Amino acid sequence: MNTHSIPAVSASNVEMQFPGLLAVKDANFELDNGRFLTILGPSGSGKTTLLRMIAGFLKPTRGEIFIKGKEVSAVAPNKRSVGMVFQKLALFPHMTAAQNVAFPLKMRRFDAKKIPARVSEFLNLVRLDGLEDRRMNELSGGQQQRVAIARALVFEPDLLLLDEPLAALDRKLREEMQLEFRRIQKELGVTTINVTHDQREALVVSDQIIVMDHGEIQQDASPTQMYRTPHNPFVANFIGVTNLFVGQLAAVSGEAVDVTIGALTLSGILRSSPETAVLGAQVRCAVRAEQIRISAALDALGELDAAFQGTVKDVIFEGERLLYELSIPELGDDPVRIFHHDQNDFATHDVGETVHIGWMNRDMHIFVAP
Amino acid sequence: MNRPRSQQIVYWSLVILTLLTLSAPTFVVLGASFTSGNIIQFPPDGFSLKWYAAIIGEQNLRDAFGRSLIVATICVLVSLPTGTLAGIALSKFRIRGANAIQIYLLLPFTIPLIGSGIGLMLAFGDAGILGNLWPIGIATAVINLPFMIWAVSSSAVGLDPDLELAAQSCGAGPVQTFFSVTLPAVAPGVITGSLLMFILSLNEFLVSLLLVDARIVTLPVQIYNSIRSIITPDLAAVSVVFIVVAMLAIAALDKLVGLEIFLKSK
Ligand SMILES: Nc1ncnc2c1ncn2[C@@H]1O[C@H](COP(=O)(O)OP(=O)(O)O)[C@@H](O)[C@H]1O
Ligand SMILES: [Mg+2]
Repeated sequence: MNTHSIPAVSASNVEMQFPGLLAVKDANFELDNGRFLTILGPSGSGKTTLLRMIAGFLKPTRGEIFIKGKEVSAVAPNKRSVGMVFQKLALFPHMTAAQNVAFPLKMRRFDAKKIPARVSEFLNLVRLDGLEDRRMNELSGGQQQRVAIARALVFEPDLLLLDEPLAALDRKLREEMQLEFRRIQKELGVTTINVTHDQREALVVSDQIIVMDHGEIQQDASPTQMYRTPHNPFVANFIGVTNLFVGQLAAVSGEAVDVTIGALTLSGILRSSPETAVLGAQVRCAVRAEQIRISAALDALGELDAAFQGTVKDVIFEGERLLYELSIPELGDDPVRIFHHDQNDFATHDVGETVHIGWMNRDMHIFVAP
Repeated sequence: MNRPRSQQIVYWSLVILTLLTLSAPTFVVLGASFTSGNIIQFPPDGFSLKWYAAIIGEQNLRDAFGRSLIVATICVLVSLPTGTLAGIALSKFRIRGANAIQIYLLLPFTIPLIGSGIGLMLAFGDAGILGNLWPIGIATAVINLPFMIWAVSSSAVGLDPDLELAAQSCGAGPVQTFFSVTLPAVAPGVITGSLLMFILSLNEFLVSLLLVDARIVTLPVQIYNSIRSIITPDLAAVSVVFIVVAMLAIAALDKLVGLEIFLKSK
């Protein structure tokens, strides 16, 4: 058999039923060797549960998990070649940094003579040289992250699992560590599954993203696919800031569809499966905040497919961009949110001002309501 | 802290009063032990170490002290493994019959020692082991075990369950995980509990009284026997020895785990 065709990890119909709660429903996915997968979802969506089943701490109540093609339900966690970085790191407080990193090597019976060299090689990889004799309470948050990642990788596992280890860090350090994880992962080429609720992190570091909600996989795609072609309103809304309008399907020709929203007829791209696209079906229409243009003059929006007039309700300064909230009665009662990046145009529009907005048809994603 | 002066005076008076009340018996007995007279009294009549010389010279006391040390050691040897495992299990798992265990843990306060003592005496008598020292060690372990369990489980509740999972993902099996991660994490509780058990066993009077015979009296029983005849200052000296042993235990505790941990443990 060609080994390249065997995924590093795969899940088939995996389910985790806790008493009174189905935490993971019918999960199916494959992850190729050396790739970086992020499981993205809100808190409580079952990400940790899925990860713990892969690590072996929980037994799926249904379905199978394969690591390197081998079904692992009978393999104890300490017999799996899986390194894990925990949400709260779970470093051993009574050991030094070097002892923490040496621990997996001792437990996995590495040649004792080679352990010190290996430990310093990995402390060097995570840039902790000189801190090997520190205890955990003598290290900063970022340094502890580095010890945890070195401990998870030092025995060269087949698979690295990261359970939101960055969630507790402040934003700057978190973004720095995200890139650091990515660098180390690339350097070692280790297959990685990362869990997060931070959509930015998922887009930045991953080769593949799985979005979860209520224990169910919503979409499994590359970051660009996930961003450009969301499968359902949840994904559209979870990745980026998205405006959702309710309407009805008026015409279908392949992917291009027309919808009616109130008295308006607009065009967009169908993202649900074609067989659900019956005329008159209720649909949700999603347009990302950054794909809407805003201008005081209607002429400036000439090349756009759809244009509306509205009133500025709020302007929020977010540093590198402005967030406008507009009231557009034609599109419903919810405020329409728009990101605006043009430096020269900063705060052109004040609260109460009448403005024009518009977007391209290809940027409106249409989902048939289930 | 910037409290008004009057409030500070009240605050410090309370602190000093409390310290005085708590330590008064210790100071009285300490003072009385140094008397040069022949009656136990405070303030002492002059200063001498003659009562210390007297207790060192007294074969009975020395033997009784030695036996008490043996009893306390056996007590620790028995309660350390059982209490440690029970304490960890109690805080880690949801155990069936947890209520019954809670009640057992309250036993030292609900059942008078005389009750437990008589029960143990009957049981040991039936087993035909009365007259040995080791059953006394076991008896003091049994009646004081809840203190050991408390000490251990109070440090085990603070134990992050992920720590054990982390050890497993590092390749450690269940036994390796226990010795390399779980046990070090609860070590402060184990040490605290063991020292507590040692002192409690060393001082145990009532249960010892019921289980000893004339050949194997322990120190508290020996002291009781002397009180029944005549109270002399050598008893104060013996008490001071007890206090010194307890202080040594506390010093050891401080050295091993730090008193802050002990005082903070809930
Ligand atoms: N051991 C367990 N027993 C019962 N319910 C659990 C257990 N672990 C997690 N859950 C529940 O399963 C759901 C998913 O949890 P989790 O996988 O931790 O979510 P996430 O990591 O995405 O925040 C939550 O509702 C959580 O309360
Ligand atoms: Mg989680």
